[in-house]
Amino acid sequence: MLHNDTKNTLINLSELSGASSESLANFMDKGFPTNKWEEWKYASLKSLNEVSLSWTPEPVSREVELPLFQQTLTIQTLNGQTSCLGDLPKGLSSMPLNQFLDQNAGFKALYDKRNPLLEQNSLYHLNDAFNQNPLVFCVEKDGALAASLVHQWVLEAHSGPTAIQGKIILYLEDGSSLTWIEQQSSLASEALLFSNYALEIWVGEQAHLTLYKDQDLGNGVTHIDHTFIYQAANSQVDLFTFSINGTFVRNNLHFYIEGPQVVSNLNGLYVPGEGQLIDNHSVVDHRMPHSESNELYKGVLLGNATGVFNGKIFVRKDAQKTNAFQSCKNVLASDRATMNTKPQLEIWADDVKCSHGTTTGQLSEEALFYMRSRGISADAARTLLLLAFVQQVIDKVQITSLRDHLSAKIISKIEQSWIA
Amino acid sequence: MLSVKDLHARIGEKEILKGINLEVKAGEVHAIMGPNGSGKSTLASVLGGREDYEVTSGSAHFLGKDLLDLAPEERAAEGLFLAFQYPVEIPGVSTTNFMKSAINEIRKYRGQEAMDAVQFLKMFKEKMAYVNIDQSLLSRALNEGFSGGEKKRNEIFQMAVLEPKLAILDETDSGLDIDALRIVAEGVNKLKSPDNATIVVTHYQRLLDYIIPDFVHVLYNGKIVKSGTKDLALELEERGYDWIISALD
Repeated sequence: MLHNDTKNTLINLSELSGASSESLANFMDKGFPTNKWEEWKYASLKSLNEVSLSWTPEPVSREVELPLFQQTLTIQTLNGQTSCLGDLPKGLSSMPLNQFLDQNAGFKALYDKRNPLLEQNSLYHLNDAFNQNPLVFCVEKDGALAASLVHQWVLEAHSGPTAIQGKIILYLEDGSSLTWIEQQSSLASEALLFSNYALEIWVGEQAHLTLYKDQDLGNGVTHIDHTFIYQAANSQVDLFTFSINGTFVRNNLHFYIEGPQVVSNLNGLYVPGEGQLIDNHSVVDHRMPHSESNELYKGVLLGNATGVFNGKIFVRKDAQKTNAFQSCKNVLASDRATMNTKPQLEIWADDVKCSHGTTTGQLSEEALFYMRSRGISADAARTLLLLAFVQQVIDKVQITSLRDHLSAKIISKIEQSWIA
Repeated sequence: MLSVKDLHARIGEKEILKGINLEVKAGEVHAIMGPNGSGKSTLASVLGGREDYEVTSGSAHFLGKDLLDLAPEERAAEGLFLAFQYPVEIPGVSTTNFMKSAINEIRKYRGQEAMDAVQFLKMFKEKMAYVNIDQSLLSRALNEGFSGGEKKRNEIFQMAVLEPKLAILDETDSGLDIDALRIVAEGVNKLKSPDNATIVVTHYQRLLDYIIPDFVHVLYNGKIVKSGTKDLALELEERGYDWIISALD
């Protein structure tokens, strides 16, 4: 059960901030997920029920370094407070949700009929309770932003256990396109930090979204990431989740395919190390016919890391002629690492093509000996084999500077794991 | 160059090498022959440093160093090369990348500076021409989907790049047709010099038509039971191994 202090704090806070009492009640009723919940079997947050968290974080104390991905705009959310560093480029608008709903009838219609799957998702309710009026970024009809937008989600705990929440909404109007690079990071601190972030995206007809997530969070950070994407007819989304560091990272990634001829590409790469857990839960909900989803996840598990992959694909009765593919491949780079995989396909339509496959293995001793016999040290050989294994996902990143940045971090993480 | 004395090795509980003695000097080519299960590949593996085998007694020195004390990569850096009977597929790593890593790791071991991309490419091109190997093979993932001949040719190419002092060819001829065999043998002969040595491990005499050995040793039941010149190989071809074995029994 939820800590009494947390309960009281949240009730007080909700009265001050106009939170949704329904969503809050929904969370309070269930509390933080425990391993008794099927969806949280391998990634329990039971301990957070017993912690008294501070819910009103102080501002981030330091300047945050800006990445150089040739972005047109950087948006920062520092301890839950969002701001833009610079003017909005042409074709992009931003305003709070309530105001946006008043002004944009098209979006209001989409927003009102949203129907996400929220079973065992108490943390989404918790996020929703306190994020009733998030910022919306809207790419105008037929507008293509030449370069990318960077969003930095930055966390800092000052003293004692801290909870930080936030939410962003993206709306790509019909025919528009956007590249959104999300960097999630934290400033060094010893304190426990609970981060609960939601990104909800509506992709209009013929629109194209490319979304990169670079998750590089420090020790002590528990990060929950809800990314819900609603796709209209003929739209395409290419999504990448790079989970590089974090004591506990849980990605709840939902795709709702709400029109025909939709393409959804989900790519993931995770390299949890000593003391880290990375959990990718994805849902691809084919609600309309003639669409295609491709899911490719790869994991390298170092030290005593734990990985979780749960990939649900639903093909609803109306979603005939769906092509849905899923693949999750893992290498345990240490005999202390654990990987839990569970593909879950539920198909109600009868004329579909679906496939899934998960593998978890170790590096081949034969290959390692072969490489060593040519003078390559055991560690360098392992690194080389692991990089070759993850290259398939890295190579799909279209922005060179981002690809190099991710690649360098992954190499360094793998190399350092041999020293430890 | 290589001095093996009374070498015993086992895998699990099973003793396979039961006292090997072998002296190899610079400029020499030694052939090690013997029937199946005699311990030929085990000897090659133990010298290469495969960890599945446990050396129980005896010694092996290479250029004055205790070979058995060195990790496989250190043996390579000291100048030992083991050409595999079954070269291993390395998914996702091209021969080019693989050799670049190998060269620079070896240079690091020897206290030399890393080779830059330009130097590497130049050296690589020379060696390609030398052993007559195609660029397209080198940019593919190493050994992945290679034919038997391509794999062996690639082994010889790696040998040309690494310029070992001592090359051990472990049944390099197995699974090769006569053309591939000739190509491999040509490569080995080209790389031969008064400063390096070669040990050819083989079941059949036919490879020795192309690589002429200075010494031929017959391995049986974990021991070298007979040594001679290339004439011994010819005799084996003609009479098989039985006459040697029965003389022992």
